[in-house]
Amino acid sequence: MKKERSKKYRAVQILRILSQTLFFALFFYLLLGTHFPGKDYIGNVEIFFHFDPLLALTTLIAARVVFLSFVFASITIVLTFVFGRFVCAWVCPLGSIHQFFSFVFKKSKLLKPKLIKNKLPTLKYYILIFILVGTIFSLNLVGILDPLSLLYRSFAVGVFPVLNHTFSNVLGLLYQAEFYSIADPIAQFLTTLDINSIFTQVFFIGSLFLAIVLLNIHRERFWCRYLCPLGALLGLFSRWNVLKLEIDSKKCIECNLCTLHCETQANPFPNKDWKSSECVYCFTCSSICPTNAIRFPLKTQMEKIETVNLSRRKLLLTSIVGAVLAPFFRLSPESKRASEKLIRPPGALPEKQFLEKCVKCGECMKVCPTNALQPVLKEAGPEGLWTPMLVPKIGYCEYYCSLCTQVCPTGAIKELTVPEKTQVKIGTSWINKNRCIPWKFGDPCIVCEEHCPVSPKAIKLIKAEVKTPEGEIKTPLAPVIDIDLCIGCGICENKCPVMDKPAIYVTSVGESRSEENQLKLDLISGSGGIY
Amino acid sequence: MKRRDFLKNIAVGSIVLNIKPNILAQEKKYPDLAVVQGELPSQITREAISILGGVNRFISKGDEVLIKPNIGWDRTPEQAACTNPQVVKTLVELCFEAGAKKVKVMDHTINPARRTYVRSGIAEAAKEAGADVPFTNEHKLKKVPINGQKLKEWEVYRDFLETDKLINVPITKHHSLSRLTLGMKNWLGALGGNRNQLHQSLDYAMVDLAAFFKPTLSFMDSYRILHRNGPQGGRLSDVKLHKTVAAGVDYVAVDSIGAHFMDINPGELMFLKIANERGLGEIDLEKLTIEKRKI
Repeated sequence: MKKERSKKYRAVQILRILSQTLFFALFFYLLLGTHFPGKDYIGNVEIFFHFDPLLALTTLIAARVVFLSFVFASITIVLTFVFGRFVCAWVCPLGSIHQFFSFVFKKSKLLKPKLIKNKLPTLKYYILIFILVGTIFSLNLVGILDPLSLLYRSFAVGVFPVLNHTFSNVLGLLYQAEFYSIADPIAQFLTTLDINSIFTQVFFIGSLFLAIVLLNIHRERFWCRYLCPLGALLGLFSRWNVLKLEIDSKKCIECNLCTLHCETQANPFPNKDWKSSECVYCFTCSSICPTNAIRFPLKTQMEKIETVNLSRRKLLLTSIVGAVLAPFFRLSPESKRASEKLIRPPGALPEKQFLEKCVKCGECMKVCPTNALQPVLKEAGPEGLWTPMLVPKIGYCEYYCSLCTQVCPTGAIKELTVPEKTQVKIGTSWINKNRCIPWKFGDPCIVCEEHCPVSPKAIKLIKAEVKTPEGEIKTPLAPVIDIDLCIGCGICENKCPVMDKPAIYVTSVGESRSEENQLKLDLISGSGGIY
Repeated sequence: MKRRDFLKNIAVGSIVLNIKPNILAQEKKYPDLAVVQGELPSQITREAISILGGVNRFISKGDEVLIKPNIGWDRTPEQAACTNPQVVKTLVELCFEAGAKKVKVMDHTINPARRTYVRSGIAEAAKEAGADVPFTNEHKLKKVPINGQKLKEWEVYRDFLETDKLINVPITKHHSLSRLTLGMKNWLGALGGNRNQLHQSLDYAMVDLAAFFKPTLSFMDSYRILHRNGPQGGRLSDVKLHKTVAAGVDYVAVDSIGAHFMDINPGELMFLKIANERGLGEIDLEKLTIEKRKI
């Protein structure tokens, strides 16, 4: 028999790589573009998320609202019904990363493909079920594992800060060597990119991402095979699949090369065991086949496809575990009394609705012009992991900026115009007179007052009477706060010259989104719970 | 200036001083301060410079010039927290007319620079006139001796140290610690480090910095004046349209006239008093020759 690999499928593969590169470039471009665009309003940089049916579904169930932007997800669903899980191998940017690294690891002999015969990688389906059961109880954990959220967050909070740090160091060397003419334009360009590089969880989120990439050493596209809940959902949707694998038994020499190199354990050989729910249409099998025996002919007639076959018992068990575990993510002191440090971005919905919708993608953290928004570790309870929180010591809420509200893909942060945003109170500022320079030492310092962006200023200066350790009486101007004017932006804390533990600080109390987290009686009857 | 020219000047200068002191008296044909009022910021800026003897008095052919406006805040020109962009633009144009090789306009801002450069309108205006509008960058910080009364050394952006000519273009504003923020306070925008700590001795720090930077020219933008809620304001009701600019070589005198615009006697301001006592400039407006024009 004449041995010849298919030229046609080689070409299709190259096409696929082009498509992957293109979509990854688009994702990256939008990611880089998620920063202050030189004007107050930014375009649809979060559009990728709206094509994600998993986010659409979980947001719909958990929040019990239809978010119109997710109409694009129906396109993905329809295409998957017809063409199967092609999105995983042709579009998904995280899939492309895994495929790329699988390729690298294979070439460098770190990854040796193992023949796994006729075994459905089911873990991801149970993960999906677990997530979906949670959403029934309004527990939205999808953001932790949704591939787009995961990738966006990992890049914005993990990879970019590391790259920025590296570039900055190189730049430092250029300046040391006095190569100004090279260094100046690079520095200017880097500033223009606005890369936020200080994150509380760079190590944690960065290492997780690295781990997920390294899993490819164990199995090709490990994440896509075993873990990805979106892949599982698309697997369930791939019902019609007009392109079906067909092996020409006359040509087939039963070398098993196709099954060995199948990227997602779809088991191309024998033909009858091919799993359409796992096939991502990467066409590796058809192009690797030494005798050109594998084809994907177009079949338009309806044909029953073997659906994902999960064990009923395990399915039931997963659902029960999901239902039982749901309260575990909820029961934390934060659900009873608001956390003082949990300062949400302006426009964030009341905490309960916010958690139902937030998919922990990190768009808001990427776009924040002062690097103020940080991934939460524990302040919002287990379910609030990696949701955004303003940390004034790192950054503050810029007065004329509503960018985070504009880029939120699920409306967990309600879109606000700049004038609307300036009316939102996200917390209240407090003075620690034991550490404040005028209050403690009687020396002048009005830095917080100077920076207060509201007019009239929420920080007033009064003549204080301070006894110094020497017994001398000084009367400096010292700051006091008008809590009705304070919007909790945190610039005072951010700029306070007391470096380690600022003498002025913001806590979440008084935030206009909450009815409970209030302070003064007259505020309760006010505008609580609007945002 | 080359060293040879410098020595020559000293030589010629000493001869002039020794033999014909009246030549020196004739040399002083320009007023100490130019104050111009008018509708257009660009027009009054040009007029003020021409009263002082034209831009060629300050900028020579081939000079690198750094113009330091106040671009500190994410505020529009109407809110009068940052220098008027048209004033900056006109100064850039004038520098190029005098044959400047390169004009830089920059500030170490308080709100993120990418925002303030845009909203203040300064980046666009300065670029239109052909200036470079770089952002500050931490790698260019250099710890230098300030040798002031209080400030011994501090980190300064090298751009401000390595330029031929420096022009300070502050805006007249209210400030709750120094009462006013004028030209001398503007130099905080050339610094890195924890500059918020300077507020504990702000008046002295401002004077030390002004004496250190010694601008070629100080240009006070009082087209709009922020009367309350300074230094960043926000409400238009805090802003008064004053439609005036003032300029001069004596930076203490320029700040003094700024104080005068805000109806404050310069002698009441601690930093001006200190500066005057140190002999850095004049605060008694009576003793200054001021040419006022209205166009």
